[in-house]
Amino acid sequence: MDQKAKIDQSCRTAEEFTKLYYESTDKRRHLISKLYLDNGLLTWNGNGITGNDRIQKFYMELPSTDHIITTLDAQPILDNAVNGQLSFLIQVSGTVKYQDKVPKSFQESFVITAQNDKWKIVSDCFRLQEPLNTEKN
Amino acid sequence: MPKPGKYNNPPWKKQFNNEHDSRGNEFNNHRRGTGLHTNGHFKPAKKNWNPHWGNALRAHLDDEDIDMGVSNFERQKKPIRGNKRHGTSGGRGRRKLLESPTNWFRVTLPYGNKYDKAFVLRSLLEHVTPIPFAPVAWSTDGNFATFYVDDYKLADKLNSLDRQIDCPDGFKLAIRVHSGSPNVDITDSLKAKLKAAMANRYDLANKALDLTKFHADPQLQDVFCALFKPIMLLTVIDIMSENIPELVALNLNENRIQVLNHLKKIDKKLPNLKILHLGNNKIREMTMLDPLSGLPIVEVVLDGNPLCTKFREREAYISEVRKRFPKVIKLDGIDLPPPIGFDIAEEVRLPPSVQTYLCNAEAQGIVRQFLEQYFQVFDSGSRQPLLQAYHEDAKFSMTSAYPYGQNPKNSSWLNWYNTDSRNILRVQDHDRRLKLLKQGNLAVVSFLSEMPQSKHDIHSFTVDLNISTPQLLLLNVSGMFRELRSGHKTAPIRHFFRSLVIVPAGSGFCIANEQLHVSNATEQQAKLAFKTPIIQTPQPAPELNAAPPAAAIPPVVPMVDDNTKQQMIQTMSQQSGMNLEWSQKCLEETNWDFNRAAFIFTELQKQGTIPAEAFVK
Repeated sequence: MDQKAKIDQSCRTAEEFTKLYYESTDKRRHLISKLYLDNGLLTWNGNGITGNDRIQKFYMELPSTDHIITTLDAQPILDNAVNGQLSFLIQVSGTVKYQDKVPKSFQESFVITAQNDKWKIVSDCFRLQEPLNTEKN
Repeated sequence: MPKPGKYNNPPWKKQFNNEHDSRGNEFNNHRRGTGLHTNGHFKPAKKNWNPHWGNALRAHLDDEDIDMGVSNFERQKKPIRGNKRHGTSGGRGRRKLLESPTNWFRVTLPYGNKYDKAFVLRSLLEHVTPIPFAPVAWSTDGNFATFYVDDYKLADKLNSLDRQIDCPDGFKLAIRVHSGSPNVDITDSLKAKLKAAMANRYDLANKALDLTKFHADPQLQDVFCALFKPIMLLTVIDIMSENIPELVALNLNENRIQVLNHLKKIDKKLPNLKILHLGNNKIREMTMLDPLSGLPIVEVVLDGNPLCTKFREREAYISEVRKRFPKVIKLDGIDLPPPIGFDIAEEVRLPPSVQTYLCNAEAQGIVRQFLEQYFQVFDSGSRQPLLQAYHEDAKFSMTSAYPYGQNPKNSSWLNWYNTDSRNILRVQDHDRRLKLLKQGNLAVVSFLSEMPQSKHDIHSFTVDLNISTPQLLLLNVSGMFRELRSGHKTAPIRHFFRSLVIVPAGSGFCIANEQLHVSNATEQQAKLAFKTPIIQTPQPAPELNAAPPAAAIPPVVPMVDDNTKQQMIQTMSQQSGMNLEWSQKCLEETNWDFNRAAFIFTELQKQGTIPAEAFVK
């Protein structure tokens, strides 16, 4: 596949992926682990959770959410870095409401990879945009 | 604002600025409230007014019979005072003093300042005994002397003493008593006094502040600090918010507080307040507590307020309290049965955030070094050297957006970034998407070079190393930077989030993929930007910072075994406050001579040359 086609594909996939991802997080959270690799990694505000079972459990304990995406960007990851395994780097920014509280800004970065005929999350890094060391919500 | 009216700009206004009286008032009680405003007498306080409680305060003032009945008329008639005007039946016929809602009374001695203050106070004290006599806010203007008392019995007694006390010059001391309280002008010196008095009343262990009868505080007898004055209560709350935001318990008993409307933001200012005592105040309606309803109150005292008499049934009372404070389990000192709620509605807390996540602890050195070097060059003024930091086929793209609550009208413009924002939700055109994806290190660095000059706050960084394999590192970094020389009036504080795919290159590393998101720092973030507690110096001490960590380790001296070393590092860290890594560095550089290491640390610390990162644990 040439570069241009790959770049197009990364954008299309990112659009579909993020739509599905945030819908699952907000409304069908019990299915969220299906989006991750078995040994996928989620870092949520610096808390690392490895493996899709644990990620599932983590999500179930998180307060209910309502995400709105503001920006989305995607690019194919350099072939050398991933041994030719088709992988995309996806970055999202937006706002998230926890239990109907005041929305907070967040940024999230994914690496997704094609496993058989499914896209799976290798790495998911979520960060709220807020000062460090605040206990207040 | 002064309204035009009959009492506007009376000729004596300037001269007797402290007297908000006009002759008409004495015969026209219901105009007094208006007279007060038109005289503009409250102007000094007004600049502090918040429109929200302007009305409340006005209502408050209307309640009080503020006017003081010392008229210009009397002054003019001075030579014949006591003859014409007060000659019959021992004066003008004493009015019965009415109780005031705030219980504050203003006592005016029209000629009080002609006499020695000590004499006047002593005489009054003798005559009011056994009622305790505690005058507040003594002030003089011309012959006038004015003070305030906060006890109806005392005020009534003083009222009855009009022209009963002999003065040295043969006159009888005239005394006027009316309902009213001193004006409040919040100054820095007043705030400092309040703060000192509050500090004395603060119980650090329990995070509890007891402001019972604050106006009677022995430390504050020379100032008027009654908390029923909204501006005073607000000031005191602000002092708490600034100095003890962790406050858990607040006792405001016996402060004659009437209105709380101005405390709408108290849940932001004192977010941890769980115990609130408001007993024996003047709160008339339960709805007046509504502004406090955002507080996580578990214990409240309302006993002794007029509102309590409005409930015949205790159940109704409890229910109304719980409407405002759903978590209350103790009301007026009595335990309540816990409220029955729904399990599912329980608030779930978010996990606390952690600054750094490293999937591979061994990569810490590489990550630190990479970030330090990268941002040092990035902020250096010339970004050309970054060519080496990017793979020849590197890809870079950027998005930008305002954070929640900000827009171009209320924050620093993000226009520069928005122009090249590769937000594929907006940018639908394929060619445009392709153009905004910078490919190859030349294109990337040329774009980076065009970006506004910056200074990154490395202490604000969060670092997530999510993947670490021999082929690649996946690093996500967020933090703040100050944008320099970009035409903004004040250098904006931005927030960034970078995702980096890093691959080995030769003996080092380079970036294969990068996504950058730029936003403005939120208000709370910006407050903490570039605010590390330790003094930073541009050139850290050579001893501690001569080389990057990996290269700085000298040959290990075999005399000290690893166990001992660990202990030394721990001790060093505890005593110096530095983190383990820097403690280790310091010890390594002194060949594990603990005393020498401690000495060097002390010397460098004195010079302020130890970089802040050494203290980040």
